Amino acid sequence: MPKLNLTRREFLKASGASLFLAGLPLPGFTKDKPPGTISVIMLEGGMDGLTAVPPFGDPNLLKMRKNLTSNNFLKLNSFFGLHPSFQYFGGLMAQNNASVVHATNFPYVLRSHFEGQNLMQGGGLSPFSDTTGWLGRALDLAKVPGRSLSLDMPLVLRGMSDNDNFYPASIKSSSDLMTQLIDTISMAHSKEGSVIFAKVSKKSTQKNSIVPRNPASLAKFAGKAMSQDGGPLSSVIKVDQFDTHANQGADENGNHGTQLTLIDDIIAGYKEGLGDAWDRSIILTLTEFGRTVLENGTGGTEHGYGSAGLLAGGAITKSRVISQWPGLAKNEQFEKRDLMSTIDYRSVCAACIEKSLGLDHDLIASKVFYTPKLPRVYDQIFS
Amino acid sequence: MNEQFRVAHKLGLMFLHDTPLPEDVKAWATSQLHAKSPALGIKKIKLYPKAKVQKWPKSLQPDLKKRDDMFAMYKQNVRKQRMKLEGHTSEAAKRANNRDNLMGEKDEMKFAHRNVYGKDQVRLRFTSFWANHFTTGNIWDNQNHIGHAIDEAILANLNGSFSHMLYKMTTHPSMLVYLDNVWSSGPNSKNVIWAKENGEQAGLNDNLGRELLELHTVSPSAKYSETDIRNAAKVLAGWGIWPGNLSDGLMTLNERNNKLIEMGETTNSWDFFKKWHAEPGNKTVLGKVITPGKGGLRNLTDFLASHENTIMFISFKLAEHFVSDKPSKSDIDYIANAWRHSNGNLDQIHSAVIERAISSKAPKFQWPMTWLFQVVRLSDASFFKGWDQIEKYDQGLMEVRKIFEELGQSFWHTRQPNGYSSAKSEWLSGEMFERRIRFSDAIYTAGYPSFSPQDIMDRIGVNKATRELVNSLVGRKKQFIALMCSPELMGLENA
Repeated sequence: MPKLNLTRREFLKASGASLFLAGLPLPGFTKDKPPGTISVIMLEGGMDGLTAVPPFGDPNLLKMRKNLTSNNFLKLNSFFGLHPSFQYFGGLMAQNNASVVHATNFPYVLRSHFEGQNLMQGGGLSPFSDTTGWLGRALDLAKVPGRSLSLDMPLVLRGMSDNDNFYPASIKSSSDLMTQLIDTISMAHSKEGSVIFAKVSKKSTQKNSIVPRNPASLAKFAGKAMSQDGGPLSSVIKVDQFDTHANQGADENGNHGTQLTLIDDIIAGYKEGLGDAWDRSIILTLTEFGRTVLENGTGGTEHGYGSAGLLAGGAITKSRVISQWPGLAKNEQFEKRDLMSTIDYRSVCAACIEKSLGLDHDLIASKVFYTPKLPRVYDQIFS
Repeated sequence: MNEQFRVAHKLGLMFLHDTPLPEDVKAWATSQLHAKSPALGIKKIKLYPKAKVQKWPKSLQPDLKKRDDMFAMYKQNVRKQRMKLEGHTSEAAKRANNRDNLMGEKDEMKFAHRNVYGKDQVRLRFTSFWANHFTTGNIWDNQNHIGHAIDEAILANLNGSFSHMLYKMTTHPSMLVYLDNVWSSGPNSKNVIWAKENGEQAGLNDNLGRELLELHTVSPSAKYSETDIRNAAKVLAGWGIWPGNLSDGLMTLNERNNKLIEMGETTNSWDFFKKWHAEPGNKTVLGKVITPGKGGLRNLTDFLASHENTIMFISFKLAEHFVSDKPSKSDIDYIANAWRHSNGNLDQIHSAVIERAISSKAPKFQWPMTWLFQVVRLSDASFFKGWDQIEKYDQGLMEVRKIFEELGQSFWHTRQPNGYSSAKSEWLSGEMFERRIRFSDAIYTAGYPSFSPQDIMDRIGVNKATRELVNSLVGRKKQFIALMCSPELMGLENA
């Protein structure tokens, strides 16, 4: 079901969505090729899990969130629904190619965007304790040599020397990049500047077709690149503006609903681009925290704790909502204001790494997340 | 680079070709803190001879009241458009509404012009630092405010105290709109009591309270609690007015003014406190008791401004932005001490920054926008259109708004409230470096620089490595690109 509704797509702003591709095997690299690909959609600002995947079976939901909950949700089971923005994702769930993890987060409870974003990418034990990211470390462990194609690298991918990010430039009066000139500039720089210019030089030799700049098309581009032999094994797409303190809205056209639609478009773009490679792919969302259970005084929500994670890809063969539902009553909330997190989202990330990169859970737990006793949830997601 | 340009690279925007170089560069940099320069710019690009640099026209610099009235008018016209009222539905009417009532593009161009033509380059650099510290990113309803905040809350208060600037920024509509405070009411305010009785929505919004602590002052190192955040939000409750407010009904500006006075006892959106929305009673933030009423916020911002954690947090940020990519503890302490000894006097703080930036021989990687202004100033290129050319299509030249969008940095674009990082590591990417190459090319190709790469190298006294790099290439354009993307001009280490 193609879903590329042009009117709903938002063009990228200066700091809006960007795409990052990583884990590009060197030519001739065939030994122990990882079994799949892993893609992360980073949602900056704090996605509201209770809006995205409303637990309508919880009697407190409508009591507490009358103005934030859509009446048009798609029913997933007798307890959980899906926001109407997720038409495509809902279709994938019907095909057993997508799942939801609910009441989950990284173990970070201080509700600062910037610490939270750092932690969800770093995956370490405290914010700003790491200069590398969990996905970068995982790709490193998987010994994917060479790696990378892309253009500001997010923390989540750091940890690999040769990484880059992709956001096509559109600058009037500038001509094609001149490889030899860039090589000369690169040589004049010390290592840190030199390696970056070397990436620009490499890009100048590639005949890239025009890459559109909206998130869905970037996802399609990424999917296509990942579907090719020797293509990257990993990609990250970053989308911001989930921080709806005011006028959050309930439906597709609300402020939060519009952003959820972007996620839906991105997943649709990935599927289209991946083609047959969809079968070995896994895509997961990542957000720094959920939002308060109660609507605030201004039609929005404040920074919270537990949220939901969306998983999609052919690597999933049975759709489900994975949750140990903590309840929404005041005494069931975290600090009497937020959805409790009952599943450590690092476990979800670990399961996706295990599936896509073929690494052992204990190794991931200790080397990627520095938490040897991190629970394994692989079977709940992939069995 | 010679000492003058080395210092101008770290602390300024480079000397314009017709500016004599100072002999005592430290005295010059310090005196720059008091340099007075109006907003300069050009009306229209001309090449032979170059367009005359003149003051920005008054008509394009409306005061805050006028800006608010314009935005109310804009909203009202949009409403009339939706109601399909005659004279409001044509494309021409829509364009006229944007042109006459929205300030975003004009302000962004004025900012660019000011930075390219200004005689107060060091002041402008500090202005950008603080504008970034007090980020008020663009949401549509805020576009008539951002430029005003930068000029009147930051630049105009650059010689006062940090506490004053903090208060003026916290109460500026640009901040109150951006971080949603305009919607917030105290949980025990009359407004909330009324709303409960009438089945309406009203209550507290903690967005600005949180960022006031986390980003603008003490930072998480102060280990404040959620209660501190909520109490700060309660102190802030009642401040500000949404700029579209009272415009949706088709009321006249007079009616609007009367309504504003009824709500906030003033029509001034920079001093707007709605008692009806304020939280009664004392609030405690980090142990400090704040009394109720309009004066409470000033007590809070003064308290936070002189907090030890604020001093250390911002001293580090200043050092990282101006002194070196890895500022030493003594750099930070030096600035913090100037802060303590002067009770947060910005002249003293900035002088300390200048001193350390000059004494540190470490290169400092420059933001994309700073670098772009420096390239244009060094080469005397005509890269930014004039104010008469806004929205006039040009085959070779980009819209100002578009330039910053492609550059990946602007105070008028959607951003997160923590602003742009000064850390070099955040900017070391192929994407960003590709843009430096492309913009050097575009400035050379479309901007017709007055000076050749050789002229520029001679004037600024580049180091041997840069000269070798440039001279190894054939053709002026390639030489120009290589010069501007050299380690020296980007603020990176040589190979």
